[in-house]
Amino acid sequence: MKIVRMAAVGVAAALVLTACSSGDDGGSTGSDGTPEAAEITLWLNGADTPEELRDYLKTTFEEENPGSTLVIEEQTWDDVVTKLTTALPDAENTPDVVEIGNTQSPTFTTIGAFRDLTPLYDELGGDDLLPSFVEVGMSEGKNYALPYYFGSRYMFYRPDIWTAAGLEKPTTLAEFGESVTALNDGTRSGFAIGGQDWRNGISWVFANGGELAVEEDGAWTSTLSDPNTVKGLEEWQAVYQGASNVPATERDVAYWDFLNDSAEGGAPAAATIMAPGWARWSIGDLTTNDDGEEVRDGMADESKFDIFALPGVDGGIAPVFAGGSNVAISAQSQHPELSENLLRIIFSSEYQQMLGENGLGPANAQYVDSLGDDKFAQTMIETAAASKLTPAAPGWAAVEAAFVYEELFQAIAEGGDVTELAAQYDERITPMLNGQ
Amino acid sequence: MSTTAARPAPATPPAPSPSPPPAARRRRRFSPTAYVLLIPAVLVLLAGMGYPLYWQIVTSLQEFGLAQQFGQPPTFVGLDNYARIFSDDRMWAVVVRSVVFCLVNAFATVGIGTLLALLMKAVHPVVRVVLQVSLLLAWAMPLVAAVTVWKWLFDWRTGVINWLLVQMGFDQYSGHTWLAQPLSFFFVATVIIVWMSVPFVALSMYAALTQVSDEVLEAARIDGAGPARILWHVTLPLVRPVLSIVLLLQIIWDLRVFAQIKLLQDGGAPVGETNLLGNFIYEIGIGRQDFAGAAAVSIFVLALTVLLSWPYVRNLLKEDR
Repeated sequence: MKIVRMAAVGVAAALVLTACSSGDDGGSTGSDGTPEAAEITLWLNGADTPEELRDYLKTTFEEENPGSTLVIEEQTWDDVVTKLTTALPDAENTPDVVEIGNTQSPTFTTIGAFRDLTPLYDELGGDDLLPSFVEVGMSEGKNYALPYYFGSRYMFYRPDIWTAAGLEKPTTLAEFGESVTALNDGTRSGFAIGGQDWRNGISWVFANGGELAVEEDGAWTSTLSDPNTVKGLEEWQAVYQGASNVPATERDVAYWDFLNDSAEGGAPAAATIMAPGWARWSIGDLTTNDDGEEVRDGMADESKFDIFALPGVDGGIAPVFAGGSNVAISAQSQHPELSENLLRIIFSSEYQQMLGENGLGPANAQYVDSLGDDKFAQTMIETAAASKLTPAAPGWAAVEAAFVYEELFQAIAEGGDVTELAAQYDERITPMLNGQ
Repeated sequence: MSTTAARPAPATPPAPSPSPPPAARRRRRFSPTAYVLLIPAVLVLLAGMGYPLYWQIVTSLQEFGLAQQFGQPPTFVGLDNYARIFSDDRMWAVVVRSVVFCLVNAFATVGIGTLLALLMKAVHPVVRVVLQVSLLLAWAMPLVAAVTVWKWLFDWRTGVINWLLVQMGFDQYSGHTWLAQPLSFFFVATVIIVWMSVPFVALSMYAALTQVSDEVLEAARIDGAGPARILWHVTLPLVRPVLSIVLLLQIIWDLRVFAQIKLLQDGGAPVGETNLLGNFIYEIGIGRQDFAGAAAVSIFVLALTVLLSWPYVRNLLKEDR
């Protein structure tokens, strides 16, 4: 029922929006100014966008554009760059609207793979849109990709275990390292993190004021050898070696499983983990939902499950890797107007609020309230405000695809000399960042 | 077969009967039917293999990256891509690794497959059918599903293999990560690939073994040959044509192995140290969007495949004649 009501509101709002905008720009439209009915395709990545939101997009789009249909195809995060590389240039097979990881955007915006969205920028939210994401989607002053949602990561921990060891929520990064190291008893990790898990590990680099790469006069340089970066990497090395029993080759592990009591009700595999906010729903005691399925209770027992933001070097909050994605229209799309209509739905207040209600940070700052005001929402907003993006270099997607940082972090986790490794990888990464 | 055997001297066929052949030859030369019949096959070969190969070669001689993929005209750079690839140390490490991996896997597969075929020949028919069905099931298992199951078996935290080893008293395998070190990574990969390709070899070899006539084996036995000698000096030479084609196919397949390694790497492994040629090409072409470099490596792999399989192809050609 809720969906139907929201859909109705959405349609009304979207109709108003389209009414305002129709006639702005021509293109392949029918005689009466509305786009010809057609089927358009939207690529979403992973299961991040919940089913409820997908249904809303479909129904609203189809009601608002009579005769047209929206097909949503789910891509995996691992393969999306590959698939976009082959699909986007092909007018026959290109998806019309695509979601793309924020850090992957520059790879495509710099070569004209996306449609220029500058004319729509103000209508879709303008300056209210998340600035760092807008910036990463720009090329030569034009908007090619706009923010879809943001996320951030923070620490989930077991207060019962921490308290039993006489420890409290840490206030500095150094204190965090000492505490989780003390909590590691050989089988239970104080802080479970895989060696290759650089997306969590770079928080230590950022917290120490380090950068992965900097741009000067249009050329990118990898700055792993920068003293601040080296310091951050060395601190991370100490934390990994002292606190984690997860192998150095692991990455993207389902850490939330580590925090739950083991299947037999025994001790958990870790006292602390770092994860995106939505991990909450995979953590907690087992309970039964309305459909009779066994689920986690979403950390209902505060004495057993709690969160905190990773503290900074001198207190405060450490900058973490800003998760999230952008959305763009393929330059080769055969139905640019319908695609723009879809963007209007995505950036409508209804959809933005739905994002927030589902724990995804809405692209438009006006709707951040929809995330709620509990500790999860507060911590998410705080950590997101302090979060940082990876370098917006044209070759960044290539660096990710070649698993270069995974290799580097594994080598560091295995106890390699950070200064030497940093110099060695700087040499390898710099040409890749600039598209060799 | 019988006509060639009947001829006394195959080396000098045109001499004996001078008058009919010219006419026959002329008729054959001007008969268009044969050539017309050849056209579909040639077209399919050209379209299916020649065209991609042509593009592969052209791409390998150009600068072709993401910008070109999105419509910029590519520039001709001659052999630059090859020079770049061949001067890359990582490339040679991958080549050596791939060739060793390919040969180990191909010989292991053919060895185990042949032994299984001999076993099938020796056991009771009911057992044989059970064996054959199990082999077929293993072979019919979709690749991704199979690798996923193997990955679970070797999982460091919840895997059955580690659990079994610990139960057997090898406590150091508690939490052991099989995919972390390149050597044990390739051990796991070898287990999976051999497991997946043994059924083909075993069934082919079994078919070949059924063609070895019992009289020959009986004669050998009467002459006093033991089982080992019969196998080595009678059976294996008789099934050699099948053995060599199966080995050739295995070498070609194992040199091109890609998906198994990629899936295992996704489970957490040192990617750079476990890349084989297929994964290396994927990383360059798809990962780094250096399509020209990937094309150059692909052409090199083609040459390498021809080089590795040449002795067998030559043998096969000889046997055909």
